[in-house]
Amino acid sequence: MALRIVCDIFFAIGLVFAFAGTKGILKMPDTFSRMQAQTCIATLGVLGVVIGGVLYAAIGMHSAGTAIKIAVIGLLILVTNPIGSHVLARGAYRGGIRPEKKMETDDLGRDFDD
Amino acid sequence: MQKTKLPAVLATFVVCYAFWILLTWTFTVQELAAGAIVSLAIALFSARFFVHEKAGWLANPVRFLACLGYWIGTFMKELISANLNMARICFGGCRDINPGIVKIPTDMQSDYGIAAVANSITLTPGTITMETTEEDGQNYLYVHWIDVKETDPEKAGEAIKGSLERGVRRFWK
Repeated sequence: MALRIVCDIFFAIGLVFAFAGTKGILKMPDTFSRMQAQTCIATLGVLGVVIGGVLYAAIGMHSAGTAIKIAVIGLLILVTNPIGSHVLARGAYRGGIRPEKKMETDDLGRDFDD
Repeated sequence: MQKTKLPAVLATFVVCYAFWILLTWTFTVQELAAGAIVSLAIALFSARFFVHEKAGWLANPVRFLACLGYWIGTFMKELISANLNMARICFGGCRDINPGIVKIPTDMQSDYGIAAVANSITLTPGTITMETTEEDGQNYLYVHWIDVKETDPEKAGEAIKGSLERGVRRFWK
């Protein structure tokens, strides 16, 4: 019972951050800011759910294999997400996408103007 | 094209085999032998794409512990504070943002060091690395920052990656 409560607290933390990221994706004004918001889902959103799942699988189900598979899923998401978002942001910028509102500073546009 | 070197093959083999054991988690002789053969074949073909510098760099226990301590300690602290900040912006209606792209200098020299710092920056909500360049031996990162507080490169760099870079410098140049 106590274990269940601890797991649920971790799930709730993950879901709160996933909700924040989703709201950011829907409400942010431009492409790059939307991309910033999704990082919330891929970091603490995933970590909360993964930690809860690992605790439940290891202590509640007594299944080390399941716990390790869940941990590996979390690790792979954490390792691959920054590469994906870096390439998406760079591709969007090179493809000519700019925010409607002028950015505070744009050193990339200044140095690589074509 | 780089040549395949023995330490690189060994390092790739160890990582592949560790993943095989973690994913199967059965310790019969058959499973372990099949995993070793498959990992060795993959390592022979792909080691030259994965390992470009010294393969045994992280096998030193001091560096390995510094690496673990960085990901579990320093990075997690930054990650949680940035996440709370981002969640506050999102629940507050996404209005008080001030996005921009800043160019910051980095002290890292090796490919792995730059990759570790750049990926740490990207994984922290609120900052995304968009490009890296080298000018006169000094490496620069172009970072999209959702709330630009500093436009001076040095101060912006300290605000974005100060503690992250000090952590990475303990195990990679």
